[in-house]
Amino acid sequence: MKGFAKRRLQWIAALVVATVVAALGYVRWAEELQRFTYLTGWLLFALMLVLTAYNTRKKLPFLPLGKSETWLEFHIYAGYFTAVLFLAHVRVRWPTGWFETVLFLLYVVVALSGIVGLILTRGLPKRLTAHGGEVLFERIPFVRRDLHEKSEALALQSATTQKTPIIAEFYARHLGDYFARHRHFFHHLLEIRSPLNALLNKLTDLKRFLNTDERAVAEQLSDLVRQKDGLDYQRALQLTLRLWLFVHIPATYSLMLWSLAHIILVYGFSGGTR
Amino acid sequence: MDSPATLEKPQRWDSSFDPEQTPANVARLLATEPFSGMDPARFPKRTPLAGILQHDTRIRRFRNGEIIVREGDYGTSAFLILAGGARVVLRPSLPAAVLGRRTTQRKGFAEIIAQLWSNPRDPEVRKRAELAQDSRGRSRTGQDNAVRVFLQDLPRILDEHQTATMSAGDVFGEIAALSRTPRTATIFAVGDDTELLEMRWQGLRDLLRCDDRLRAHIDGIYRQRTLATHLREIPIFRQLKQEQLDQVMAQTQFTTYGDYDWSGDYKRLAKTGSVAPEKETVIAQEGDYPNGVILIRSGFARLSQKFGRGHRTLNYLGAGREFGLSEIAQNWRNKNATIPFQHTLRVVGYTHILTVPTAVMEEVVFPNLPPEMVAALGPAEPVPVAAPIAATAREARPDALDAGAKIGPELMEFLTEHRFFNGTATMVIDLERCTRCDDCVRACASTHGNNPRFLRSGPSSGNVMIANACMHCADPVCLIGCPTGAIHRGMAGGEVVINQATCIGCQLCANNCPYEAIRMVETRDESGAFRLDKDLRPIVKATKCDLCVEQVGGPACERACPHGALQRMDMNNLDAFANWLHR
Repeated sequence: MKGFAKRRLQWIAALVVATVVAALGYVRWAEELQRFTYLTGWLLFALMLVLTAYNTRKKLPFLPLGKSETWLEFHIYAGYFTAVLFLAHVRVRWPTGWFETVLFLLYVVVALSGIVGLILTRGLPKRLTAHGGEVLFERIPFVRRDLHEKSEALALQSATTQKTPIIAEFYARHLGDYFARHRHFFHHLLEIRSPLNALLNKLTDLKRFLNTDERAVAEQLSDLVRQKDGLDYQRALQLTLRLWLFVHIPATYSLMLWSLAHIILVYGFSGGTR
Repeated sequence: MDSPATLEKPQRWDSSFDPEQTPANVARLLATEPFSGMDPARFPKRTPLAGILQHDTRIRRFRNGEIIVREGDYGTSAFLILAGGARVVLRPSLPAAVLGRRTTQRKGFAEIIAQLWSNPRDPEVRKRAELAQDSRGRSRTGQDNAVRVFLQDLPRILDEHQTATMSAGDVFGEIAALSRTPRTATIFAVGDDTELLEMRWQGLRDLLRCDDRLRAHIDGIYRQRTLATHLREIPIFRQLKQEQLDQVMAQTQFTTYGDYDWSGDYKRLAKTGSVAPEKETVIAQEGDYPNGVILIRSGFARLSQKFGRGHRTLNYLGAGREFGLSEIAQNWRNKNATIPFQHTLRVVGYTHILTVPTAVMEEVVFPNLPPEMVAALGPAEPVPVAAPIAATAREARPDALDAGAKIGPELMEFLTEHRFFNGTATMVIDLERCTRCDDCVRACASTHGNNPRFLRSGPSSGNVMIANACMHCADPVCLIGCPTGAIHRGMAGGEVVINQATCIGCQLCANNCPYEAIRMVETRDESGAFRLDKDLRPIVKATKCDLCVEQVGGPACERACPHGALQRMDMNNLDAFANWLHR
């Protein structure tokens, strides 16, 4: 068995064992043991602390804290296990009261955003690589500006040399805005090619009204449209690969703070339960 | 129709070693030993003796204590002492700091923790302590604007280190120049009037071709100092008794193919897109009689096989690899069913090889090998010459070819054409796993004072990208010619590092690097202000990936990748690369 598959199997085996142990514990002690909820609560909080610490590890690459890859693998599978502990902790019941509902919802947001992030990070890199024409994310605005200037120059040049405004008018109506900003984010994300095809079809339709020189200009514009489409594709996917963390990380910190408040409240109002 | 563009064909001496070399100097050299004893009639018309002295040599003058060659440096020229003297430091070697290098030390626990708050806000800050030079070696700029390094306190150095004297007529540096290996000792000038003739390797090679005496002299030195050690490193020769090894050594031939300046050529060819196997010099041709086992001593060679109308790369062989052994072994065991070379071996850049003739292998080496080693040389039954590669290659050369087959021909061509096999710590990124999160770049910046030392971009083939980061090359052309020895191999791991204290910002290393992995940066002081020289120009230093030699745990970029997409790989170990690809 090869590296990735072998490791995945090992982590899954560990997760299954931990889940079975937790489930057996729940069945055996959930009703009998008064402290069971405290136990699952503390285990859950401790595990969430370790999971949150992954972001801190990323910020301290010079400390000998092990490979980030191992941390992420633990983060994923321990993250799945928190769901088991969470269900055991809430005793598979819907929370009561607004405080606990918020806590519950925060957990759901963190868990779901993590799962979505995992799906995105496994799928989008393959699509980016297969599509080709990759540009560093930080360079994308510069490349877009360059394409915008080139296309605008072509349209203006056509207006002055051909003495007919047909391409310039087409540019102003259909292409100016297309090159001026990034477009069709969701289309690219969902791999829908209709906006590009529509634009290229319009350019093809236009050609019947153009002379040979103008057709050459239209051809060059079509080429720039394709390049811009490729750039927008890169931006949409690379941005998505970054954006999900903007949900996952703030939600995680909110969850940790809310959990801390939850612990304080539990101990503050436990009324001598020991 | 447009007339085809024409270009003047480059000539051997388009670029002289010293454009100011005068005819008077040449006449003087022709009257000096060993040139006076050479027969000009034996030199070809295109490369006459006087022409070699005119274009491939230069006269250099050194002052007392000035370092001529540094131990560990790579150089492409040899020296003949014309006047004065020099001393070679035998043992112990001079400390690294005296030679302009730094001794790399891993950071202690406190220093590691201190990085939490001590990283400067401004880019490229160099702390005063970082720029402190060792007082025992000082660089000065001479009248010719060349930077020269002098040893200070010579009497103490002579007291503490055993040295040997060399005088007029002595030659040194020839083995390092011819075999592209590091200099084995430091040599410095004695007296203020030391005059040396520096011969670049092309001229030295031509002199060797046409003068038996010089060839015999260098041949003798090579056999005596280098050959035995090298042969002993190869398992089949390690088994031999001393007298048998002496027989092998006596018959072994050594040859250098290609051009040491391959990096410059490669840069030019890459720009024009004309890097192609067909243009490389052939060392051994598929289908030819195997007249000897070829051992790669330094440089690289491409192993290819005919495929359709072209050749496809199966592997590339670096130092320590052999070619033709399995064919010769098979012929020795099957006298009636001999086979020719199964593959072609071509020079990539330059290749220094040793050839052990077939007769020596059959008479001295094979009969004295233990049976298990003979069995390991390949199948006892004859292998059909025209068998498809999958059959011949795998059976005959399992080690060399399986990895190539796993990697695939497209990727092999990509690696070879870009000369990536040179890397011992090449940054390889699996684009299908890389999420473009830039954690690797941030980790690199955090461990280098907030300055990333690589770019997460570079040429790619399929899902493999080779990032623009120093590869810590097996043949580090960036090391050639550094005037102060600032760029050097680390003492422990052999990684290529730059001493910021002795780097003078001359850009030679950055210009030499074929992969453009070295960047010149304007440095700042602790307050964030630019460090300026006396002409108020910013002080520029060369920077590059140092493989996190000072950090604990290895390269931060690799450890920081959450998806296992980035790996620093020795591209000479294709098995490891193939396993990583199919992990």
